[in-house]
Amino acid sequence: MNIQPPNSSSIKSRFAVKFVQAMKRLSKRRGMGDRYKRYRATRAAARVSLAAAVGPERAWSRAVLRRIKKRRGLIGRTTTNPRRNLRGLVPGGKGMDYCSLLSETAHYITCLQAQVQVMQDMLHLSSP
Amino acid sequence: MNNLNSLLNQQQMSSLHDDSQFDPPPSHDDFLQQMLSMNTPAAAFPWADDQHHQISGAAARAMMLQQQLLLSRSLTDANDLRSPTEAGNGFFPLPRGDRDDVVDDHSFKTDIAENDASIQALFNGFTGSLGQTTNQDQHFTHSQADSFGASASAAAPSQPSATGQPRQRVRARRGQATDPHSIAERLRRERIAERMKALQELVPNANRTDKASMLDEIIDYVKFLRLQVKVLSTSRLGGVGAVAPLIGDASSQGKKDNGGDIAEKEGMATAEQKVAKLLEEDMGSAMQYLQGKGLCLMPISLATSISSSTQTST
Repeated sequence: MNIQPPNSSSIKSRFAVKFVQAMKRLSKRRGMGDRYKRYRATRAAARVSLAAAVGPERAWSRAVLRRIKKRRGLIGRTTTNPRRNLRGLVPGGKGMDYCSLLSETAHYITCLQAQVQVMQDMLHLSSP
Repeated sequence: MNNLNSLLNQQQMSSLHDDSQFDPPPSHDDFLQQMLSMNTPAAAFPWADDQHHQISGAAARAMMLQQQLLLSRSLTDANDLRSPTEAGNGFFPLPRGDRDDVVDDHSFKTDIAENDASIQALFNGFTGSLGQTTNQDQHFTHSQADSFGASASAAAPSQPSATGQPRQRVRARRGQATDPHSIAERLRRERIAERMKALQELVPNANRTDKASMLDEIIDYVKFLRLQVKVLSTSRLGGVGAVAPLIGDASSQGKKDNGGDIAEKEGMATAEQKVAKLLEEDMGSAMQYLQGKGLCLMPISLATSISSSTQTST
């Protein structure tokens, strides 16, 4: 097993090239005005570009490249215990039954959206 | 009457012993006994009274066959949760609806009409095998017409045309009514389903039909929102002096800019551009932006009139 640490500079340059190419392709794609979709696509592009830059030598990069070929779950899927993950995300979700957890999640999402919007507006206002 | 009663009970017990999944609650036995005894209006079972000795043997066999039919149907019906409880509850289709075992007169009569209709259907179906004569059917219809009037006449004509349908309809409702656990389960599932629907509307990319992938989507979205808050906190917003301009203190902003008029003019041009851009997106944010600067929007005519008046005054 090859335990040599990766050469950071070569990986940086290879990753930069691939990532910029992916972002160019992304900007040409339609339906990317939505912030959430852009975030998902950017993150996926970053992950794939890094794995492509590393190549098939390592197990983790092989796993990532395999995931693209399978066309499912480019971003880390929480296939194991999605309910538990949700409980960990929503504050106070650990001691709730599933039904009230769902309603709390809905309220939490709306509040988070409002918070993000306000903070973004403040950011735009503070520095014209 | 007691003969029939005990006979039916015996059959029920013997056939249900083998199947562990059928567990008729004792209340249903009580109900059966209630139906069979004369607590209910005497006209309810005229056939039982009139042809008691003639029918008991044949009726018993018919009941057994009907029960076996129900049992076999429920055994093959693996998906339906309701069928075991339904089949285990005996011969007569028990009252539909949400009342567990409460029987009021009106519904009871219609149920009896349906019971008789299904039993009559059974008899019609098994006429050949049991060797029954048709005059018994006539007896049944006569007795039904005598005792129940409109409800029976409504039930009887429908019965020959759709022999399977009344039974299936009652079967579904019985499954809902009988088991409190299944009712609670169903309520819980419905509540979860409507909350999932509400969540689906909130989260973008909500065209997933799969429940698991929908949960994944929700989790991803919550993670994304929290990440956005984190990122916004680490941006310039979290820096020193970032919040002061928002309070609309124009004098402090002028001091900071260190340029006086020139800076203000430059700021005005960029501010105009910003306002124009914000107006395209959202009216509210444009107004907020202007308010933060201590500015407001007004029609040009008013602006010119005000400016001319101020110019003349100064």
